[in-house]
Amino acid sequence: MAQSQLARNEQLNGWAFVMPALVLIGIFMIYPILWSLWMSFQTGRGMQLSFGGVANITRLTQDPVFLRALTNTMIFLAIQVPVMLVLALLFANALNSSSLWGRAFFRTAIFLPCVTSLVAYSVIFKSMFAGDGVINQTLLWLNIIDTPIAWLADPFWAKFVIVTAITWRWTGYNMIFYLAAMQNIDRSIYEAARIDGVPAWARFWYLTVPMLKPVILFTTVISTIGTLQLFDEPNLITLGGPSDSTLTLSMYIYNLSFKFMPNFGYAATVSYVIVILVGILSFLQFLAARDRRS
Amino acid sequence: MSSVKLRAIHKSYGSVEVIKGVDLDIRSKEFVVFVGPSGCGKSTLLRMIAGLEQITSGNLEIGGKRMNDVDPSKRGIAMVFQSYALYPHMTVRENMGFALRFAGVAKDQIARQVSDAARILALEPLLDRLPKELSGGQRQRVAIGRAIVRNPEVFLFDEPLSNLDAELRVHMRIEIARLHKELQTTIVYVTHDQVEAMTLADTIVVLRDGIIEQVGRPLDLYDDPANQFVAGFIGSPRMNFLAATIVEKSGGALTVELQNHKNCRLVLPLTGGAIGDAVIMGVRPEHFGLPGMGNADIALDVDVAEHLGSTSYVYASADGESLVIEREESRQEERSDRITVSVSAEKIYLFDSAGQRLR
Amino acid sequence: MSNIYAITTRSAQYVGLSIAAFVSVFPFIWMLLGATNTSPDIIRGKISPGGALVENVMKFAAQVDLPRVMFNSLFIAGVGAILTLIVASLAGYGFEMFRSRVRERIFGVLLLMLSIPFAALMIPLFIMMANFKLINTYQAVILPTVASIFIIFYFRQATKAFPRELRDAARIDGLKEWQIFLHVYMPVMRSTYAAAMIIAFMASWNNYLWPLIVLQTNDMFTLTLAVAALNAGYTPDFGVIMVGAIVATLPTLIIFFLLQRRFVEGMLGAVK
Repeated sequence: MAQSQLARNEQLNGWAFVMPALVLIGIFMIYPILWSLWMSFQTGRGMQLSFGGVANITRLTQDPVFLRALTNTMIFLAIQVPVMLVLALLFANALNSSSLWGRAFFRTAIFLPCVTSLVAYSVIFKSMFAGDGVINQTLLWLNIIDTPIAWLADPFWAKFVIVTAITWRWTGYNMIFYLAAMQNIDRSIYEAARIDGVPAWARFWYLTVPMLKPVILFTTVISTIGTLQLFDEPNLITLGGPSDSTLTLSMYIYNLSFKFMPNFGYAATVSYVIVILVGILSFLQFLAARDRRS
Repeated sequence: MSSVKLRAIHKSYGSVEVIKGVDLDIRSKEFVVFVGPSGCGKSTLLRMIAGLEQITSGNLEIGGKRMNDVDPSKRGIAMVFQSYALYPHMTVRENMGFALRFAGVAKDQIARQVSDAARILALEPLLDRLPKELSGGQRQRVAIGRAIVRNPEVFLFDEPLSNLDAELRVHMRIEIARLHKELQTTIVYVTHDQVEAMTLADTIVVLRDGIIEQVGRPLDLYDDPANQFVAGFIGSPRMNFLAATIVEKSGGALTVELQNHKNCRLVLPLTGGAIGDAVIMGVRPEHFGLPGMGNADIALDVDVAEHLGSTSYVYASADGESLVIEREESRQEERSDRITVSVSAEKIYLFDSAGQRLR
Repeated sequence: MSNIYAITTRSAQYVGLSIAAFVSVFPFIWMLLGATNTSPDIIRGKISPGGALVENVMKFAAQVDLPRVMFNSLFIAGVGAILTLIVASLAGYGFEMFRSRVRERIFGVLLLMLSIPFAALMIPLFIMMANFKLINTYQAVILPTVASIFIIFYFRQATKAFPRELRDAARIDGLKEWQIFLHVYMPVMRSTYAAAMIIAFMASWNNYLWPLIVLQTNDMFTLTLAVAALNAGYTPDFGVIMVGAIVATLPTLIIFFLLQRRFVEGMLGAVK
């Protein structure tokens, strides 16, 4: 059936509006991601690459630095994301009560960190966690510790500092999502629950949390993606050290490509590890969210 | 002013057919109202006349010219939308002159046409306001003003009053009727409100599921509905339908027996149907009489009675079949549990089991 | 009974929130104090204003060509954000207003691409820029950020609230599709543009990794890179770094306090 003039115009216009974006995405995302896939099967130094089949993948399994970076990234993910999201949820829940005095102040204060530039806050944290720095001084003064902690020189504590820094920067950001979602919940639901004698913790756990599920899923996914790509903070605070204990996958890719003798093929293989991890984890999170619904 | 002619108009979205062949002639200067329940296709039909929806098949002529593929702005139509669709960032004056600006009309000419339209609608004091500074009724008038400025051959209204409160709706209804008299244009008006249809229309087109059920003047539809759907749709409160059976048929008359009132038999001057047919008997709430005043009486249990002052509506039932009865003066029935009413043969409509009128 | 329980809960909330608020705000105070102290004092954890502000500012001015670096940052973030807004709003409008099965599917693919990590793109992008001889140019920083799927998504979500009848009215008024976009959609969606501008600008302003890869000389550095460069080496001068941190944070802080509502709207936009 011949399309009428009107229908044809509608089609043409539709394409015209989305075309600039599609062309740019094609050039700067689709082409690179495919190229990068191709590259991951290449070996060699600099631009001198030759096909190496699965050589890079074999190398991955035997590369202690890669395994280090992978473990570190997974540790950051497993600890930082849940801690941050739970804190954000608790703060949001407290701030959602209309009878709380000083809500606007608390909200602004907790949100403030996500206004800072990543570089600025990273260097500030680096100075605060210095050996004789303000954090150690305060903890000594409070008698919480009796000898200064070597924050940035100890593998465990260096990880702790990175987790603390990211949590500081992003908790308020996630809290804002939860607050907005909570404000869309009909207040009369809570009033009905109170009349039914449901205690506060149960209102939170059985009413608020289930109703926030879509937002919780959203924040979990974006936080996961963000943490898997972690680069700025470790690169500025610890430079991946001490002895690679805070090296992340993104940093390793950067080092492989731009710091050492460039090895683009192997770096591309490592980058595909992140792609696959993001894919698997997002999929699992969606699956988990759906399971509980049915 | 132009006539509008629809011939075998079809519209499908993918495999879903929403308009299933509509033929209609709208005369020049006629006020035509499309009415029907939501989802009947009345708005789609209007939007196809406007050129906002593509016509899948069929022919649309406005003023004798085929318009299927003509740009909306070149069809000689203007449209008033349900949400008014005023441009929120422009003043009333700019809103009204916007189309002319893009048609390349000279500035002073635009100003003249805008002020003409503003005078007709008493919008002059509002010309420099933004839509958000206007009340609902004022926005409605601006939307109409914007349509008038374009000097259209055909006005299209898409449920224009449904966002107004009841009082304003009556007011605007009268205003639109006045405008039609004054401007003498063809108007196609879509509504789901049969009261609007009855009061405004020269011709009502009743639609259901993408087909025309009946076309006619308002009172013709009320007095002589073609089928059960139109009978139920036109008139408020809606017509009562009672299950019945044809029990006798003789020389130009048939006798029906009501299913839930076995003692009630009525002889109707109709020839359709056959003995034993299950039929549906329609009686309008206002056509019940006092006991003994008609051809048969029926007794019912009163469920609820609503007294509105001048009239009362009695909701009554028998064996699960409920009826509405309109009474002019009925204060004495306030407390009684039973009511007896009479029905008259000449006020009865009979429909076969498929809903078609038996004549 | 329940009264005591409620009071305990409320008190716990106040304590928790107060600690959170203090922890959130302290680094800002630390940054301001630090700018007035010498580097050794900062490292020793001195929590009081010192007298080294002028010295720190002078050293900062000597090490960083602030006007140049500020211009670079503003130019990259400003031009980048404006181009992003144009491209993304056209696409968001196109996807939402002109529905077709093919485009719907493409949009689905775009959503999946939201989760492509930048790390997987940066090597090909770098080689691409090198091939185009664009290394160390503004274009190299800006171009890959222009087609932001996140902001396309944001505009599409916002366009759902754009009344379709306005477009119908404009079509009847004789406007072509691009005129409807220019004369009706853009003015009506002003606040969406403002919110999107804030997110796009901030993202670009704070961007670290990609500029670090493609910008190589001091005269092309963004403020972010300049501050990061101060941090490099074994004995960074924290007093100077604090001055840099203040300069780098100030613009976004100002935007935040002036346009707090829009700011938050922008962040939430995509999930609404």
